[in-house]
Amino acid sequence: MMNSVVETKGEVVTSPQQKHIPGELGIWVFVAGDLMVFAAFFVVIALGHNGEQAEIFAQSRATLDMWVGVLNTFLLLTGSWFVAKGVEKCRSIHSHAASRYFSAGILCGLLFVANKSFEWGGKIIVGINPMTNDFFMYYFVFTGIHLLHVFVGLGVLLLVRNASRRQTIGRNDIRTIESGATFWHLVDLLWIVLFALFYLL
Amino acid sequence: MLTTTNDPLFRKSMTFCAWSGYMAVIFYIIGGVILGGMTPPLLNAGDSPDEFVRKITENLPQLRVASIFMMISFALFGSFGAGIAAQTRRFEINPVFSYIQLVFSAGGMVIALLVAFAWALMSFRPETYHPSLVMMFPDFAYFCALFSVPLFGGWCVMIALPILLAEEGKEPFPRWVAYANLWAALLYVPGQLILFFKDGPFAWHGFVALWIPYVAYFGWIWVMAIAMSKVAKSTGNEPPPELARTGTAQ
Repeated sequence: MMNSVVETKGEVVTSPQQKHIPGELGIWVFVAGDLMVFAAFFVVIALGHNGEQAEIFAQSRATLDMWVGVLNTFLLLTGSWFVAKGVEKCRSIHSHAASRYFSAGILCGLLFVANKSFEWGGKIIVGINPMTNDFFMYYFVFTGIHLLHVFVGLGVLLLVRNASRRQTIGRNDIRTIESGATFWHLVDLLWIVLFALFYLL
Repeated sequence: MLTTTNDPLFRKSMTFCAWSGYMAVIFYIIGGVILGGMTPPLLNAGDSPDEFVRKITENLPQLRVASIFMMISFALFGSFGAGIAAQTRRFEINPVFSYIQLVFSAGGMVIALLVAFAWALMSFRPETYHPSLVMMFPDFAYFCALFSVPLFGGWCVMIALPILLAEEGKEPFPRWVAYANLWAALLYVPGQLILFFKDGPFAWHGFVALWIPYVAYFGWIWVMAIAMSKVAKSTGNEPPPELARTGTAQ
């Protein structure tokens, strides 16, 4: 059994034991797999930076607004903090506070999507698109694949919020909550590397 | 009660389905990798039509033999997929996901067969067809294989869902298999980029749009074939007694 279940005032409260994998093994298979593929993407981008088109990459990178990237990083990190607090609440004192933390996490995710849309929109309006050059091809495609992860993550967070609202949180609910949170942290982690590769290098 | 331990026919059938998966991968390696030039790609989406004709004409015999091997490989997707659906069915009181899986596996098999058809036609008479027509055959083959993300990705999701939605102890396959399926589905996604690019890593000969989905797809077949082999050896998940159907042969 992954969690110890304690009855307090009619509520089932779960807290992790020492030998505890957050979520379940399967989600970590998924995380490891996704990290492997993104590692390959990162190599593709890094090769572009240092290849024959280094000049074009440097010029194109300069047109990106670093602060838009910083804001998005801030939004995802804050979202992850809310989600982590929510998981902690679910494990200790089960209350509606947990689901509010997840709602705040979802809000951060939505703001990320809005900010990304403005950023992309701003580029497309001035005629910059994936066909412009290799830098923007990588930029749109890889941040697009990441955006897909954000959409999936938002769906997962809705499931997590749903599970956190149950009257009693059972072992399976904790598993769902932890697995979902793990996925959201993955989305965050991937963005941090993409941010560094596109905006900072 | 018929469990895998006292249903020898089921065990043999599942072994057959698992081996359909293994053989599909092996036949693809012979047809698509060693002979056919599908992966690694012999052709390049950015080449001129005349270059397509030249490369195809130079490799006619092996391309033709490769098409036959690919045809066999892709036809095996049917029995491979049916085996997964059969195991899912054993855990359902009222079947839904097993039916959905059958629809997806039949669709997947047909679309994959079109890849082999296009490959065969490409090498049929490239000297007679107009070069741009010859060019269309490999385009069509890669589009069937890579652009069909909702079909092959959907199939994986339909395998993952009944596992994740099942109550504890009533999952048709171990839960990590569900996550492996979701991962595979996500890896097919870059395949849809081929519509937008004719050069670079996102074109149909590129690393991201071709290699990642292909390796993921055949790796997925291998993983699911192993999962079915375990069921056949009675080391996989077994339905609880209330779900085990009573057979006529006791």
